[in-house]
Amino acid sequence: MGDPAASQGDAYDPKPQVRRVAGRDIVFDQEGFFQDADDWSREAAQELAQESGLAELQDRHWQVLKFLREFYQYNGRAPLNRQLKQGTGMSLLELEGLFPGGLKQGARRLAGLPNPKSCA
Amino acid sequence: MIYLDNAATSFPKPAGPLQRALAAYLARGASPGRGGYDLAVEAEQTVDEVRRRLGRFFGGGDDHRVCFTYNATDALNLLIQGLAQSGGRVVSSRLEHNSVLRPLYHLQQAGVIALELLPFNPQGFLEPEALDRALEARTSFVILTHASNVLGTIQPLPELAEVCGERGVPLLVDASQSAGLTPVRMQDWGLAAVAFTGHKSLLGPTGIGGLVLSPGIDPRPTRFGGTGMDSSSLLHTMEYPYRLEAGTINLLGILALGECLDYLATPEHQEALRREMRLWSRLRQGLSDTPGVELYGCQDETNHLPLLSCNLRGMPAGDAADILDGDFGIAVRAGLHCAPLLHQDLGTAERGALRFSLGPFNTQEHVQSVLEAMSLLARKRA
Repeated sequence: MGDPAASQGDAYDPKPQVRRVAGRDIVFDQEGFFQDADDWSREAAQELAQESGLAELQDRHWQVLKFLREFYQYNGRAPLNRQLKQGTGMSLLELEGLFPGGLKQGARRLAGLPNPKSCA
Repeated sequence: MIYLDNAATSFPKPAGPLQRALAAYLARGASPGRGGYDLAVEAEQTVDEVRRRLGRFFGGGDDHRVCFTYNATDALNLLIQGLAQSGGRVVSSRLEHNSVLRPLYHLQQAGVIALELLPFNPQGFLEPEALDRALEARTSFVILTHASNVLGTIQPLPELAEVCGERGVPLLVDASQSAGLTPVRMQDWGLAAVAFTGHKSLLGPTGIGGLVLSPGIDPRPTRFGGTGMDSSSLLHTMEYPYRLEAGTINLLGILALGECLDYLATPEHQEALRREMRLWSRLRQGLSDTPGVELYGCQDETNHLPLLSCNLRGMPAGDAADILDGDFGIAVRAGLHCAPLLHQDLGTAERGALRFSLGPFNTQEHVQSVLEAMSLLARKRA
């Protein structure tokens, strides 16, 4: 009989992946989010955007990414839904349509914010 | 704000029961069962009265076999880890929440148990015939949810219990979603144990739940400590309910639970439950009529809780939930709802789903707002 208390074999441990993006080796999680927000660069965001089907990030995209990054740097967390709406001056429905992949896989991931912990 | 996440935690709470519980706690919130002074004895008596009423609420037979826990997950861990036998086999289902699956997988990975998981049919129900086929001589116990937290389907417990009874296998039940919404009749149905939580449809606060055990079901304690009795012994007592209650219990939570039991029995609340189902039908029909919305599970109100899950074609469930929250003030739960195998079987393991779960304080206007918002999202996605 095994000892359940001694077993750590069932602990969930998603493996990070290293990819070369914009000339740098960057660690991403399994869903493609930056492991370290400091690895983000405009060039990396542009390259990831192209991968997702967006040929070039336009001013409106940069406005959203800038807000997300500044909010994260200042508060140490992502904005709440109402803060995102207020801070960008766009509805979340507009924002979702602006980025291929939508709010999470699009805007948040390209801004280099951490993958949200919730399974949503 | 329109709150439709009652399957996670009911909100808002009925103010009266919680205010009365707090007043009682402030007046006599001494250490229950830890001391011979009157206040401690009275606190213990209050706790025992709530045990008695919970036992009756779940149709159990012995008040002493009502044990308080932090929540249903805590209760299920006590049950599963306390009853698992080395080399034994456990039968459960693919409908289960991680509060059942994770303790079972932990024991399976550790080589303690073998595990078999029953499938559910396209409507979201377990079938007694499948359970009958799954039972073997070395099956230690069966553990099943009373109602799915994703599909809302109420499982045919009397029939499932009958199968277990014929084979002499205990049936343990996770009543997290059902308690307070649909009756649980332990003795009548022949259930061995019921795990429940206070913070969902019993309308209590977070941090209080429990276990009701039938005679002959005796989980080994897996937590040990002070019980307020037999202090000279270095071994934890085997006496109920203290056998499964180590440390001082959550008196404020228990007081609130007792007050909520009164509230649940009021005609006003009973009418609110009927209204919830009418609202569920209206929501279900409205979403069903909305192009671009995919609904999961059974369409019929019979044997159903007031919750449903769906997706908007072409939009991740998490994004849809964020938009409903940020743009429309509608709080719903997106994702896998801690039920990964169910979502695998629905084909929604990658994108998850949106879950709308109604409560006693929802209104027709709330449902109408949801339908208008979902219709707008679906049109934008079309």
